[in-house]
Formats: sequence, structure tokens, C-alpha cells
Amino acid sequence: MFKMNPKHNLFFSIFLVFLLISSINTNFDLMRLFSGSSNLFLFFEEITNPDLNLLRVAISSMFETLQIAFLGTFIGILFSIPFGLVASRNLFTKRVSLPGRSFLSIIRTIPSLLWAVFFVIIVGLGPFAGVLATAVYSLGFMSKLHYESIESIDPEPYESISAIGASKIQLMRFVVLPQAAPNLLSQILYMFEYNVRASTILGFAGAGGIGFYIMGYLQILAYSKVMTFLLVVLITVLLIDFISMKIRDHYIVPMLKSS
Amino acid sequence: MNSDNHSSELDVKLENIWASYNSFEPILQNCSLKINKGSSYVLMGPSGIGKTTLLKVLNGLISPSKGNLEVFSQLINNPKDLVSLRNRIGYIPQNLGLINNLGVLENVLLGALSSTNLLRSLSGKFRDEDLIEAKESLKLVGLEDKVNRRCYALSGGEKQRVAIARALVQKPKLLLADELVAELDYVTSREIMSLLHDVRKRLGLTTIMVHHDIDIAKNFGDKIGLLKHGMIHAEMDSNEIDVDIIKNMISSDNV
Repeated sequence: MFKMNPKHNLFFSIFLVFLLISSINTNFDLMRLFSGSSNLFLFFEEITNPDLNLLRVAISSMFETLQIAFLGTFIGILFSIPFGLVASRNLFTKRVSLPGRSFLSIIRTIPSLLWAVFFVIIVGLGPFAGVLATAVYSLGFMSKLHYESIESIDPEPYESISAIGASKIQLMRFVVLPQAAPNLLSQILYMFEYNVRASTILGFAGAGGIGFYIMGYLQILAYSKVMTFLLVVLITVLLIDFISMKIRDHYIVPMLKSS
Repeated sequence: MNSDNHSSELDVKLENIWASYNSFEPILQNCSLKINKGSSYVLMGPSGIGKTTLLKVLNGLISPSKGNLEVFSQLINNPKDLVSLRNRIGYIPQNLGLINNLGVLENVLLGALSSTNLLRSLSGKFRDEDLIEAKESLKLVGLEDKVNRRCYALSGGEKQRVAIARALVQKPKLLLADELVAELDYVTSREIMSLLHDVRKRLGLTTIMVHHDIDIAKNFGDKIGLLKHGMIHAEMDSNEIDVDIIKNMISSDNV
């Protein structure tokens, strides 16, 4: 039954070698994990006593993070929709869509934290750098999702309306975007959720928001203070996810079903 | 009845047209056809024989590989020539080409896109006369109470009416309709066909329709063309057709 293909054997051996090398180079050591867990009790004691005096600061810095995510996502949308259209192979020839796609994948190779570092260099410390980092990252990420759903729309209406003389821009406005709208909206909502989570660490690079405090207190090992901030992040993220789930169920799912 | 001497009044002329979806198997082979201005031409034939291909050649969705094509007495040398004529050619494809997420009125207004200024249309502002025309067309097809309904909430017959209203708003000189009433019941299909017939007479519209229903072809077509082996195999005036002959010819075992 189990006849191994020699080719498979080779792949399997390579796989094992990689596992071994990675474990050695990352100092993988289960003994250390268990013997060190006594440290955890100390840590645990601190984090179960969040410093509630910092609650007000935590909430207001979380609010800044939310605003970074909101504005960053919005600016991202302004660019991601045109880029998504241009990168769609059913609307544009390869000569146009391929450079569009390459540009977007280059943007996507850089994580948002690195974008934050980049923009802190340009515009200085603070939330503005965070907004720009979020916007650029969202553009790269959302445009990919956009062009994938634009490419999957029913081609019939596009063909029919182009056959009665509508221009390409009109077709995008009246045929392509309305057809793709439910998917695009769902992607935008997802991106906002993602950005709320992602922008909590933008402060690590000095790009504003709650991450700045988390980073600062982590460095002085003030875990009970860190915990206050993490709690606020946890509650906010759960709340945002809950709200967007409701929006999805009430507005987007019915649209998806009907299209 | 032979109308060869009326060549100046032709709206459509195909001469030895070859066309295909992919270059491997030509669907239209040496197909020739003349259609008089203001007349109603019905294409019949078994499925997959090239009726839709023929319609798509006429609005440039498919470009023929060989042959001469004239539309509105204008020789079409390359597909771009047809693009500039498209605003005068209405098209109701088999699946109607409606945008389900948009409202009925918006779908009907899509017929006015080609005659609307680009910037105006992008902002979603259509001319007042187009809006009035759209509402009147919807009234004409009996959908005045469903103007704001989304298209996905309509029945099959209502969707076909929307597609007709869209074609009316476009004010074409030539209308191509692919199996327009195929999925409708007897009464509704006759209603829609006589509606189209009235409009056609009023506007002097030339129509080329694909139908499978011989009765409809006979009642609403001036001329019937039978497509077979990639060309118009036989052509007859609708008042002198023999139903049995057509039935025999279009039954698929005769392909």
C-alpha cells in the first residue's frame, strides 16, 4: 500500500534536515521551557494585578490607535480601489495590470512596522507616521483582495453594457464596482479590524498610539502596568470584531447572497 | 417577395462572413445576410448553431475573421469602426446583462450611458430627459411601481421588461435580442413581444431577434432566417412560412 516514491523520500529527507537545522539554530530546548516556567509565577502575580491608575491613559492612547487605524484604512481605500481596478486582468491588458500587480506585491513585502519606521524618519515621531504606515500597508494588502474579487465578477453584464456603447470608465463605475461591492465592503471591514490590531504595535516604532506605552513599560519590566494596556487592547479588539460581525451579518451577507 | 433592389435601405449586410469564438472551429462559415431598415428579422435554428455569434458580430463583441460587414451602410473594416456605432445598436443578451445589485431605474439608465457626458455620468447624474425617458419606458413595460426595487428581487419576466426598458432608453436604430422571451409563459411572452412590436413600429426600429418559438417568429417577424452549417440556410417571409418545414429544419437531428 505505502509505496514511497523515491522523489517523495528525497523531499521528506530534506524536510527533516530543515527541521533539525532550524531547531539547533533557534536553540530549541523543551527542558529550558519547563525549568523556566517557575519564572512565570512571578510574572503571573504581576499581570493579575493590572495597575488601574493607568486606565485613563490606556483608554485615551487606545483611542488614538483606533483613530490611526480608521484614518489609515480610509486613506488606504482611496488608493486600493483604483489600484485594484488597474491590476485586474479582466479589465486591463497585461501591459497595465502586470506593473500594477508588481507594484502592489513590492508594497506587501514590507510589514507595517517597517513602514512605520520609514514614515517616522520622514514625518517624525507621532500618530501621523502611524496613519501613513497603515494606509500604505492597507493599500498593498486590500488591492490584492480587490482585484481577486473584481476578476471573479460575472463577465456578462460587462460585455452587454460595453456592447451598447458605454466607455471603460463608465463600465467600472456602473458595472464592475456595483457587482464587486459586497466583496469589497467585506474586505474593507476586515482590513479595519486587522488594522486596529496591527496599529497597537506601531507605537513600538514611535508611530503613535497605545504601543508606545506598552513598549515603554515592557522595557522597564513593569508587567502590571503593561497588563492594563493589554486589557484595554483586548477589550477594544473584541468589541470592534463584534461590531463588524454585526455589520457583516446585517448588511454585507444579504448583499453577497443576492449577487 | 424579393427585396434585393432596395440595397440603399439596408441596415445590415453580411457577405461571406466567417467568425468563431476561438480560432479553431469557425461557427459562422461563409454567412451572408441582408436586413432591411425598419424590418423585424428572426433568426432560428438549433442551439449552438451560431445565432448568438451572429448577433455578437453585429455589435463587435466578436470580430469576423473573413468577409464583409456593413452596418448602417457603413463598411466595417476593423472592430473599432463598430465601437463608434454601438450607441445606435441596442443589445439584449440571453442572460439580459442586468446588474443585480443595482436598482431597476439605475439599470434602465445604463442604456443612456453612451449618450451621457462622461464626467456627468461618473457622478451618477443623468440628464433630466433621460430620467423622464427611463421612467416612461418603465411605465411602458409595466414596471412603474418597481422603479426602486433591486434587480435581484425581480421575477424572470420583470427582468426581461427591465432589459427592454434599458434598450428603449438607449434609443437605438437597430436592436439585437437574443431569446428574449424564451423563459416566459405563453401570455407574458406575447405581451412582451407585442410591446416590442409597437415600439418598433413607432420608432422605425430594425430588430434582429433569436427565437425558438415558431409561433412568435411568425407573428412578430417580417422575415425568418434559418441558420444551419454556419450560414443562412433558408429565408422566408413570415406570412408564407410552412410551420412543418421549419420544425423539420430546426430539429437538431438535421444539423
